[in-house]
Amino acid sequence: MTVTDVKAAVLATAGARVALSCAAAVSGITAGLAIADVSPATPWRHLYLLPVAVLALRRGLAAGLLAALGGALAFGPFVLREIEGHGLTRAAIEGGVTLAMLGVTGALVGSLAAAGRRQRERYEMLRAVQRVLAEAAPLERGAARLAAALARRLGVDAVGLVIADGRVVAGADGLDPISLAAHVLARRRPVFVSDAGTDARPRRVVVVPLTSGRETVGVLAVERLGDISREERDALVGLGAALGLALDNTRLAARQQSFAEELEQKVGAATARLAEMDRLKSGFVALASHELRTPLTALQGFAELLATRRFAPTEVQRVAEIMRAETERLGRIVSDFLDLARLERGLPPAIRRTVLDPGPLIAAAVDVFRRTRTTHRLELHVDGALPRVDADADALDRVLKNLIGNALKYSPPGSCVRVRARALDGVVAFDVDDEGPGIPPDERARVFEPYYRVRNTEMLGPGTGLGLSVVKSIVEAHGGSVRADAAPGAGTRMTVMLPALP
Amino acid sequence: MYAIARPWEPQSRGLLSGLPLPLLILLAAVILGAGVLAGADVIPLMPARAVAAGAAQGALLATAVAWAASGTPGPAPAPTVAALVVLAGAGGAALAPIGAIAYLAAPLWLWRQRARLPGLGLTRASAGLVLAGAALGMLLGTHLLVTASLTLGYGVRAPRLEQLAPWLAYDIGGNVLTTEAFFRGALFDRVQRRWPFAPGAAVVTAACLVRYLVDPLLPRSLEVMAGAVFYLTLLSLGACWLYWRSGSIVPSVAAGVLFFACYRLLHVVQ
Repeated sequence: MTVTDVKAAVLATAGARVALSCAAAVSGITAGLAIADVSPATPWRHLYLLPVAVLALRRGLAAGLLAALGGALAFGPFVLREIEGHGLTRAAIEGGVTLAMLGVTGALVGSLAAAGRRQRERYEMLRAVQRVLAEAAPLERGAARLAAALARRLGVDAVGLVIADGRVVAGADGLDPISLAAHVLARRRPVFVSDAGTDARPRRVVVVPLTSGRETVGVLAVERLGDISREERDALVGLGAALGLALDNTRLAARQQSFAEELEQKVGAATARLAEMDRLKSGFVALASHELRTPLTALQGFAELLATRRFAPTEVQRVAEIMRAETERLGRIVSDFLDLARLERGLPPAIRRTVLDPGPLIAAAVDVFRRTRTTHRLELHVDGALPRVDADADALDRVLKNLIGNALKYSPPGSCVRVRARALDGVVAFDVDDEGPGIPPDERARVFEPYYRVRNTEMLGPGTGLGLSVVKSIVEAHGGSVRADAAPGAGTRMTVMLPALP
Repeated sequence: MYAIARPWEPQSRGLLSGLPLPLLILLAAVILGAGVLAGADVIPLMPARAVAAGAAQGALLATAVAWAASGTPGPAPAPTVAALVVLAGAGGAALAPIGAIAYLAAPLWLWRQRARLPGLGLTRASAGLVLAGAALGMLLGTHLLVTASLTLGYGVRAPRLEQLAPWLAYDIGGNVLTTEAFFRGALFDRVQRRWPFAPGAAVVTAACLVRYLVDPLLPRSLEVMAGAVFYLTLLSLGACWLYWRSGSIVPSVAAGVLFFACYRLLHVVQ
């Protein structure tokens, strides 16, 4: 037996005691009047009002009416006997009025007591609702608890909650578009239907909008087989405003929490990215210093040699060739820096487009590397005639040399680097395949980011980590694309696609 | 849940819409005719009263059936048949007292038609509410017997079966059944779907009182009229409450039959 059961049993016992006391009082009054053989106009008749009022006060309207019925049944014979004996005398009329007064007293006092009880229940209901809303819970679970609390407190058969977006969070599986709830959601006015459905007993329905300021955030629907009094309906309208505010707060809190979590994630990601950029930049500064100093040192050394010694013409030519190559390297690094500076300012690389045939350009770039990098095999395949492109020849040359240079740099000596050019559907595609260690799949997209270098490749050769980002910016400035894939077998395939001219 | 998951459209049916007016006019003519013929001594008073009462009760049952049929999909029983069934009982009673047994045709007919008249309250009620109805009828009936025998100059007798059976048949098939079918199953059913219980029960009880006070079978003495107002008010309010709780006329029929059975035990002490 639960505490509630015990409480109900105690209340029932107390109620039965009050009822029995009143029945005893009515019997006692009747017996007294019968023994005294009084007329129905006796002042003692008013004693019947006492048990009626007491029972109505203690147990409400139904008990008041039952007590009035008991009093009327007990006092009625006195009135009827007077009518039979003397006709409709003043005493009979006074007795009749007393009978009516019993009913009025029972109904009136019972109604007032019931109204007071309902008022108390409303406060308790509001407290129960506030308790449910105060619990931190997701909207659906909170709404289900709220509906259960309302059904328990209001003593209704069903409670439903619909959110403004048409989502039903309690009471049904889905919202009918021409249902009463949908009607109230659209009109934003409470509706009371005195009979809905086809039940043997009338099904009263109240649907009130849940408002927050001027906004309707949902509707609350309540159904009961039996009466829903005007006071209850007014209370539900008031509750609708309170619930609307609470639901809106819950919704805002949920949105705020979601926003805060999203913001936290973004800030975390941005911080990590900044830290990564900082690390890469620091590495870049060190690397760039080294990359710049190496050709400068070579140039300085050879320049001093030429100034201080005399060389045979062939030797001078060899030294000059080395100095030219180092100057070219220095120039490339400086060009990369300049392009990077433009990129970081959000500007595309400076290009001067002309209509050109890419075939000779590719052949020239491959030929340069064939002559200078004899440690690798360099193959060129051109599939048929290539369409012309609208491009900057110098920029395209940089792209090709960058890609071929990378392929050579990261491939073991003796391996083969294959350059292939072909026409596809409206584009010209260049593939540069190497037989190097390849790029892990998760790093293939990142190799085009500035300063980024694939892990564990530093030992394979120097580099600023800028080349591919410059390649990407140049290709995209031409309306093309570049991507890194795994080459067939092993190694990396870099593919550039440029729009072809019709 | 109805308010969320079912389509809704506002209802605009009037409280008294769907009256079988031609039939009611015809039955009113029968009542008038019986009165005129009895006044002109063409037919005896008692058969004329029986026919008039039967026509009035037939009108009540026919209206109840017409209202219940108006909200029923598919074929429904004709109100005319309902009136004829009650009139058959009245005709039987007019011919001979034992002929009132023919009134039992009305409950039998209604019971057979109950599936086609779902709105008339011919549904099963819980045993508790049927017992409550029986207790109400017994309480009021017993109180009537005690009060009448002690104060009103009436006596209580144990009638013979051939005397009691026609009265019981009349009460079951003519008096109580037609009253409960119309005032509870039809009128209060419509009223309770529009208004709260208290005003609805008050209006229906007032209408029910009028029905009994104009009944030609009710003795016209002051104490009987006062007693009728007293007891029938309580009986009608109780019957409304029983219908409100159960949606069935079975408990209120039980209350009415038992109350009137007690009433039939009274006789005037000279």
